[in-house]
Amino acid sequence: MEATPFTGLVGVQAFPFLGRQVAPSDCSADTLMQPCPSEVFVFAVSRTVVVLSVAALSLTGCAAGSGGTPTPTPTPAASAIDNCGVSVPITSPPQRVVTIKSTSTEMLLALGLGDRIVGTAFQDGPVPARWSADAASLPVLADKVPSQEVVLSATPDFVYAGWESNFSADGAGTRSDLAALGIRSYVSPSACKEAAYQPSKLSFSDIDAEINQVAEIFSVDDSTLLANQHATLAGVAKDTRGLSALWFSSGSSVPYIGAGIGAPQLILDTIGVRNIAGDIKDTWAPYNWESVIAANPDVIVLVDASWSTKEKKIKVLEDNPATAKLDAVKNHRYLVVPFAASEAGVRTVDAAEDLAQQLKAQTFG
Amino acid sequence: MLWFIVLSVVLITSVTVAVTIGPATITAPDVWGSIVHHLGLGANPLSPLRDSIVWELRLPRVLTAGAVGAGLAISGVVMQAITRNPLADPYLLGLSSGASLGAVAVLLLGSALLLPVAAFLGAALALALTLLLAGMFGRITPSRTVLAGIAVSALAAAITSLIIFWTVTGDSYREILGWLLGSLAGARWPEAGIACSAILVAGIPIMFSGRTLDAFAFGDTSAATLGVNVQRTRWIMLTVTALLTGAMVSVSGSIGFVGLVLPHAVRLIVGPRHRLLLPLSALVGASFLIWADTAARTFFDPRELPVGIVTAIIGAPVFAVLLARRVRS
Amino acid sequence: MTGELSTGLGLDRVLVKVDGTIIIDGITCAIPQNTVTALIGPNGAGKSTLLHTLAAALPLAEGRLWFNGSDLLAMPRRTRARMLALVEQDSSTELPLTVADVVALGRIPHQGAFGDISLADREIVGHALLAAGMQDFANRAITGLSGGERQRVLLARALAQEPRLLLLDEPTNHLDVSAQLTTLNLLRTLAESGVTVLAALHDLTLAAQYADHVIVLNHGSVVAAGPTAATLTAELIGTVYQVHADVIPHPRTGRGIIAFSPRE
Repeated sequence: MEATPFTGLVGVQAFPFLGRQVAPSDCSADTLMQPCPSEVFVFAVSRTVVVLSVAALSLTGCAAGSGGTPTPTPTPAASAIDNCGVSVPITSPPQRVVTIKSTSTEMLLALGLGDRIVGTAFQDGPVPARWSADAASLPVLADKVPSQEVVLSATPDFVYAGWESNFSADGAGTRSDLAALGIRSYVSPSACKEAAYQPSKLSFSDIDAEINQVAEIFSVDDSTLLANQHATLAGVAKDTRGLSALWFSSGSSVPYIGAGIGAPQLILDTIGVRNIAGDIKDTWAPYNWESVIAANPDVIVLVDASWSTKEKKIKVLEDNPATAKLDAVKNHRYLVVPFAASEAGVRTVDAAEDLAQQLKAQTFG
Repeated sequence: MLWFIVLSVVLITSVTVAVTIGPATITAPDVWGSIVHHLGLGANPLSPLRDSIVWELRLPRVLTAGAVGAGLAISGVVMQAITRNPLADPYLLGLSSGASLGAVAVLLLGSALLLPVAAFLGAALALALTLLLAGMFGRITPSRTVLAGIAVSALAAAITSLIIFWTVTGDSYREILGWLLGSLAGARWPEAGIACSAILVAGIPIMFSGRTLDAFAFGDTSAATLGVNVQRTRWIMLTVTALLTGAMVSVSGSIGFVGLVLPHAVRLIVGPRHRLLLPLSALVGASFLIWADTAARTFFDPRELPVGIVTAIIGAPVFAVLLARRVRS
Repeated sequence: MTGELSTGLGLDRVLVKVDGTIIIDGITCAIPQNTVTALIGPNGAGKSTLLHTLAAALPLAEGRLWFNGSDLLAMPRRTRARMLALVEQDSSTELPLTVADVVALGRIPHQGAFGDISLADREIVGHALLAAGMQDFANRAITGLSGGERQRVLLARALAQEPRLLLLDEPTNHLDVSAQLTTLNLLRTLAESGVTVLAALHDLTLAAQYADHVIVLNHGSVVAAGPTAATLTAELIGTVYQVHADVIPHPRTGRGIIAFSPRE
């Protein structure tokens, strides 16, 4: 074991103020599994060293994977997926997954793969009621981005992240570092930042494609989920009143809003509402109140997050003497969407359905 | 005297033009018509909503920019005179770091105080700490004060970074970054009121201390023999400058380079005598920041840059040029 | 000498401490008005400290100072600044002030906080520059001048204050010979026109040539004080400076030249 990189790693990760917490987790109660011999070899030649993994290796023998019954699948069409520029090989289905961000957790829950999750991190809000029983037992690794050590302490073989930036050296670890340890990594494709990978305009087929990819990697059947998604989508009543909306994500003196090519735009298109910032070629973007007032949106979509609640947003709108005069603010024409449902994922169709229903209830005098 | 008139005209022109510029399309006559209406003369040519763009957003922001620019410029002049250090700026005594800490406490920890109040308290606390530290080892001298200020700034910055890392999530980074870089995006009438009051209360008296500041040119002993009460003057000047800077920073964050570079630029044009330098720096500072902020809010329309970025982009090369000229002369 | 003098500069049991150490150890002496008095003594004797204390730039621990009957420390600062001026040994600025600007600073005590430079002020500045021989340098930046030129500018600034008491700390340090003689002649002229001059001088010969009185300082105490010829004797110099000294009459002026040789 090399002393210098180790102390450096511990030194960086040890500061509590980096906001990472390890909850008293069930993973310490689980049998710590020894990775298979080929992975031991890979680990031994890697640069990064983690004490817990070393301890785990020395203590136990191989254990069988726990988790759901893998469905026998036909030979995969491709042997690897190009995910945001990193190749994700399709080999045996992952058995121990760490999910970062709600979209990842919920994707797996939707595909019935909840039992494969050995740790979640950076969750954006509670899961929908239909999964709360499954989700209750999921170990929480961190409130925010977990450190690499924390991720590795759960001994995953797959890390599924909602943002590309989760995979940084001071975050969960770079994707190449994890690969060197034999851990595959995957980023929600709609969140890719590079121009070649970012959807030029997010559509439901992009979300379907992600469902396909995940199902392929995990070797499960996605037809039920896809059918449900399409059915929900078909049932969304598009509004015909020619309304406009501001997608207010966060901020006070400078509003941060849903722009033209991401999930907010997709949802607004689906419910038949024009995005006042729809011409901005970004997923979300900083904006300015003057433009909001000039556009005078008919409704305002408030993203409800724990760090920026809908009440706080309403207060911001009402305290600003200029925005207080907006029709939407004076008449409380707000539509509320929980943050976890506002990023591209399996809940996007649900968010569209919910917002359409809220919109139906709004009357315009 | 001529300069005074020219620069005053420039300032007034800047205000009237800057108010007509913005992402929303409102014609200049309509803008002025709206303002005139609010001053009690004439009907309002704009709908209430568009009128609020002019009267609630643009005008207070432009006025705040002017007041902050003037305040930072004259604070810079005073600091450079009192510390006899051409690299001094208004933030030297821990003021901006302390204010940032106060702002972060409100923005990220959800303290119940109003942002300007918290920022001002932070600045005041940092100043008190700086003076305490400077006085701990004997007489308070300018160099000791500067060093103490650096230490306190570093401490406040470290605590601020700590809080940011501990609490920040997603896009609340944006909010605090905007504040740290200096931004006028949140400037409404209360902020304009604070900034303009600060200029009147603190700035005007400073304006009249020109000859006294001149006396410091050759140091404390010189100033004393020229009849200046060195200790008392220094204390008063520092306190008033701190109040002025604290008020400005509480309203707009730490906008950099205005206090550092503008005094030098104005000195190049009108010379180092403070009786001229102070009021002219105020005028130039006001116009400069009005235009910098106009650029910041329109260059990347509809996105906004924090104005501190614009002042840094302009200020850094200008400072380099000024430095080169000093070396050559 | 004790008791208040109605003319001249008087010191009564003046004690000055700097950072807790006694530098001026309770000195009492008198300097007659309208004369040139040389303050001499080895390095560290306290000459600078005494001058700064007289200028009220350093606080007095004990004792009293008065000039022409007025208590120097009791009077308001501006009044004092109109009455006395100090030319420091090493004083500089980084600001790009012109020579005229610097000399104009000397008018501050006469102007008040809101005042500006009047025509009368400009005239006085012009005269001061002329007296100091720096009239050709009026528009030059002070930062570009040599040490000697700067010293003369600071002398001009002091003159612009129109003081009745002029204190100088080694005013001839950086000057070449002719400038030294010019400056000292100027001091004599000033004394004759009603200014009391007290100058710390390093060069004993210059003191002997130009001063009416000398005050000899050693270790913070006055060793001797009085008219030059009588006080500045070879024995005194020898004791104070720990060298062999001989006072020889100058072939032209008749006043003393001090010659030194080391003790065995």
